[in-house]
Amino acid sequence: MPPRPFSYTPPEHEAERASNSYLMSLVVIMVGLPLPIVNVIGSGIYFLANRRSARFVRWHCMQSLLAQVVTLPVNAAGLYWTLAVVFDRASFTNDYVAYIITVVLFNIVEFIATMVAAIRTRKGHHVSWWFFGPLTDALVRG
Amino acid sequence: MQRIFGQFLVLAGLFFGTCFLLRTVDYRSFFRVEELTREAEHNLTELILDQLKKEGSECSSDSVLALVDSIKQRVCAANGIADSSITLHILVRDEVNAVALPDRHLVLYTAMIRYCNSPEELAGVLAHEISHIQHGHILKRLRREVGVSMLTALAGGEASGEIVRQTTRLLTSSAFDREMETDADNSAVHMMAKAGIDPVHFADLLFRLSQEKMNVPKRFEWISSHPNTQERCAKILKLRKQEAYMIRPILTAAQWTFLKKAIGTMRTEGS
Repeated sequence: MPPRPFSYTPPEHEAERASNSYLMSLVVIMVGLPLPIVNVIGSGIYFLANRRSARFVRWHCMQSLLAQVVTLPVNAAGLYWTLAVVFDRASFTNDYVAYIITVVLFNIVEFIATMVAAIRTRKGHHVSWWFFGPLTDALVRG
Repeated sequence: MQRIFGQFLVLAGLFFGTCFLLRTVDYRSFFRVEELTREAEHNLTELILDQLKKEGSECSSDSVLALVDSIKQRVCAANGIADSSITLHILVRDEVNAVALPDRHLVLYTAMIRYCNSPEELAGVLAHEISHIQHGHILKRLRREVGVSMLTALAGGEASGEIVRQTTRLLTSSAFDREMETDADNSAVHMMAKAGIDPVHFADLLFRLSQEKMNVPKRFEWISSHPNTQERCAKILKLRKQEAYMIRPILTAAQWTFLKKAIGTMRTEGS
């Protein structure tokens, strides 16, 4: 079943809040690069602050938060592995480089998707991502 | 729910598939990791050796070098290590010490040879230092204690003489961490047994050194930085029981006497 489209055109203030949920995750990326947990905390706080908002806002806050939650272990593993290499607890192997390149690629894709989502939701369009969209549908009711 | 799970599997497959494909590339060769590490290690070792030679001249007796080298050869050959890959230096110094350097160099002080009661004890010292070399402990420790940036500066000849002196001092006067020392002891016991040398001699030497270090800690730097020598001896003796080996003599009595006599005539400048 495809994600349910919204039955109404969100008003300006809803579109702005929904868009801000993506912008929030972009802003905290600066801090979140060395400490991936900061991304999740930032998106989590924004979601909680908007938990009583209109469904459109909640839905996009949740999608943004879920993307951060999934990215967290991937980035944290990359960070831990890098620290281990720097402090000589692990070797600089081909596996390490392959993992870091993959993580960087996925983060770039996520960054672009987040920017596109921020712009489109600001215009009041609904954006549903692969996997995160259906999962958000299942979690955000009413 | 099935759709969510299916999409998750595709996403995870994409991530791990990309990772799997990317790992087929040899990045280490691309970044010349081995080449650069070898070059840096070589430069660093040259600096440290120069510093050590300023503090004590290198033994010039070919016969002494040949005899000690034959012990090293015996340990290496029995353990599948290319003997030529480890360069031995003997320095005329009054401290009872032996040091493993980067780039597979091993420095033995004449006082250590003089202190050993048998070629087997000397083999124990060599096996212990060779183990540090084999495990790559030297660079690991330098990276940890000196720092990667400082090591790069040292290897590139950009560090001051004082930093070279301090790095040399670090390598010659303090022990590796407990884990590394234990690894080196365990490997030394195994190497000695494989070479047909009774590891009990290594434990004997450590025990004797631990008794003497209390009186003259400065002279016994090889052991004075190890607080747990008795425990190490006990572990060596325990491991020895697990090894099966057939003892074969290393040097003849005449060769050993000659070595001790030759070393005995060498004195450091000023002594």
